[in-house]
Amino acid sequence: MSPCSAAATVAPLAADCLLVTPLFEFPFESVYVRSIVFVSLYVSVLAVLLSTAVSLPVALVVGFSEFPGKRLLTSLINTGMGFPSVVVGLLVLFTVSSQGPLGELDLVFTKEAMIISQFVLATPAITAISLAAVTSVDSNLRDAARALGGTRLDVALVTIKEARYGIVTAVLAGFGRAISEVGSVLIVGGNIAGADGVSKTRTLTTAIQLEARQGRYETAMILGGILVVVVLAVNALVVRLGDDGVMR
Amino acid sequence: MTVGRGRAASRSTGSAGTLEAAGVSFDYGDGAVVEDVSLAVDSGEVVVVIGPSGVGKTTLLGLLALFERPDDGTVTFDGTDAWAVDESQRLALRRRIGVVFQDANLFDASVARNVEYGLRIRRSWRDRIRDALGSVIGPDRPPGAVREALSVVGMADDLDSPAASLSGGEAQRVSFARALAYDPDVLLLDEPTSDLDPRNTAVIEDAITEAGERGIGVVVATHDMHQARRIADRVAVLLDGTVLESGPTDAIFENPADERTRKFVEGELVY
Amino acid sequence: MTIQRREFVAALGGGVAVGLAGCTGSADDGGGPGVAGETLTLTTTTSTYDTGLLDELNAPFEDRYGVTVDAVAQGTGAALETARNGDSDVVMVHARSLEDEFVKSGYGVNRRDLMFNDFVIVGPEGDPAGIQGSDTATGAFWAIAEAKALFVSRGDNSGTHTKELAIWDAADVDPGGDWYRETGQGMGEVLNVANEQDAYTLSDRGTFLSQRSQLDLVILVQGPIEDGPERLANPYGIIAVNPAVHDHVNYDLAMAYIGFVTSPEGQRIIENYEANDEQLFYPRALSEDPDFQQYVPEGWEPDDDS
Repeated sequence: MSPCSAAATVAPLAADCLLVTPLFEFPFESVYVRSIVFVSLYVSVLAVLLSTAVSLPVALVVGFSEFPGKRLLTSLINTGMGFPSVVVGLLVLFTVSSQGPLGELDLVFTKEAMIISQFVLATPAITAISLAAVTSVDSNLRDAARALGGTRLDVALVTIKEARYGIVTAVLAGFGRAISEVGSVLIVGGNIAGADGVSKTRTLTTAIQLEARQGRYETAMILGGILVVVVLAVNALVVRLGDDGVMR
Repeated sequence: MTVGRGRAASRSTGSAGTLEAAGVSFDYGDGAVVEDVSLAVDSGEVVVVIGPSGVGKTTLLGLLALFERPDDGTVTFDGTDAWAVDESQRLALRRRIGVVFQDANLFDASVARNVEYGLRIRRSWRDRIRDALGSVIGPDRPPGAVREALSVVGMADDLDSPAASLSGGEAQRVSFARALAYDPDVLLLDEPTSDLDPRNTAVIEDAITEAGERGIGVVVATHDMHQARRIADRVAVLLDGTVLESGPTDAIFENPADERTRKFVEGELVY
Repeated sequence: MTIQRREFVAALGGGVAVGLAGCTGSADDGGGPGVAGETLTLTTTTSTYDTGLLDELNAPFEDRYGVTVDAVAQGTGAALETARNGDSDVVMVHARSLEDEFVKSGYGVNRRDLMFNDFVIVGPEGDPAGIQGSDTATGAFWAIAEAKALFVSRGDNSGTHTKELAIWDAADVDPGGDWYRETGQGMGEVLNVANEQDAYTLSDRGTFLSQRSQLDLVILVQGPIEDGPERLANPYGIIAVNPAVHDHVNYDLAMAYIGFVTSPEGQRIIENYEANDEQLFYPRALSEDPDFQQYVPEGWEPDDDS
């Protein structure tokens, strides 16, 4: 679509097109979109980092030790991958609401509450895919690490390194689930943007929902395009990091 | 050095680099059984455990490598009972032993990173983290020991090759260098050449001999009598989880005391 | 603000490169004496939020007090429920019966009338139920039910939904069946759905006007602002959450906010706010005579026991 047709449909301000045509020059109002992208990334990246920090040890323990209830736990993790995000949102809302167990912390309608709900959403996905990845590592390689003088931790690190492609897939799946999810962040975050146009808890997804609610489908589509670009960019970055760098 | 049958034949030794199993028994529960076996290796000698497949050679090596605790008997390293000390002391003992398996089991990394692995995990965590961060920024500079160990097996030119790009023989040679790089007192090799062509086999056998000459005690498990004859100072014949007979290589091959040993070395006993 | 945002997005659509690098900057700023630096959580209805009025009201308030207003747009029912849980400091809603219940049960204090607009009954230009020119809202609803013409309901316990149910009740119709569709969504979405399906619906005038340029729906029964039936009046109230029930709520700031929006300045902002060159809300807090009714439950008489 051309800029003028977009402006003309969204608001009868066709003349303004002349003001905003130059490339690479954000008008002042870009703070709105930039802050939304920032909130989306901040919440999802932190949630996924926390999830990964929890998921990897859990996957290693579940993958390489025997204990009663292991099968039950594994199927619980797999079930958790499909847990509806609105239900997670409700549960987190009850938890952080001032009447809930974490009420003292005053987390309702904050980014922290959104991080909690996305953490709950992303962790089963990251754990389940990591579990499949680490258990598919050749047990001979674990023996080799031990034979060369490795401690249990060294063996675990070798396992993670050998399973790195699967783990990167797991992290990306978790990130994809987190950043594209709208139900829970809307409930616990409240979709708040300040009167100055700076997002506090508005993410790309909840902003899209808001625009669609008001019938501004073009605007919603453009925000959707930004969301897709953000997801693709993060995927490319993470895959690149996984290919070389630390994981060498 | 002592290779013998039963606890009575074993001895306690305190000399440097002596790894000794005395009267060990072990049962995995899957038929891989070792029963009342004694075997010791001193620094600088090459001991070959010979026997057909499935007689417990791998199990015996697992006991010597301190992977498994024997059901009965002791494994001592320089007089220290490895299973009477705590885990960190046992780790220190384990770290003086190198193990090479039948499969190369190389990590998915460059040749240099593979060979450096044993050195890397022996460093302090602080150094390891610094190295990891450093390797993100610039290229690795593998320590001299890595290059040296690789040159023993003729792989020094392949430092930067990915392990996955090597042939089976090359990979096994790198695997050998990986166990040699951190300068162990004892090397345990489980059928190290059974999948290799004659040329690569020769490289490994030369490396074994060289390791012995450098003062490393080497235990090789093999089903290949000719190999035993080429490299062994001492031979122990393992059959059905027990040592039939042991002694200097020539004595065993020229003048076997046990009838089954004679049949085995003459190729009549086939399992 | 809304207009500016549209400009920007229009520019994006024109191919301005998306510079994602350096996405920093957060709204969290703290510190300052008194209420400065504090945050007021306001739960409100989608109609006040989506029209853009709140941004106009909140910006000068934030400037004056050095505070932040977190406005959460929900339906009236959800907004009151959030406040009931102590998760907001002040509510701005439009369902007098629900507001009275909220205050009566002790969760809200210091209710003030804020502003009003009205509801309109909108529908397709063809008007299959023939309600155009109806004198009463109940008559129009009755005709829609009689014709079994498509009607889209909010179905979300919002102020608009509450009003709609009250009208059905007064018309003595129990809506249901194929022609009656509940969406459970906000006003904007319901208007879109009604537009797609050539259906009737009840809308607040503000949301309808702000979205009219994208709709084929037309107003068939006017509200009291355009001399329509009084039943379609849509008064907005603002209520502080009772600090005696939830001691952690920011009562001082809530009262400061109520004071601001009912002040001559706040009321002027409401009066002057326009979308598509039309006034959306009418101030109600300023009056020559004291309006006792805003402080007591609807229909309350001095001799009432309750």
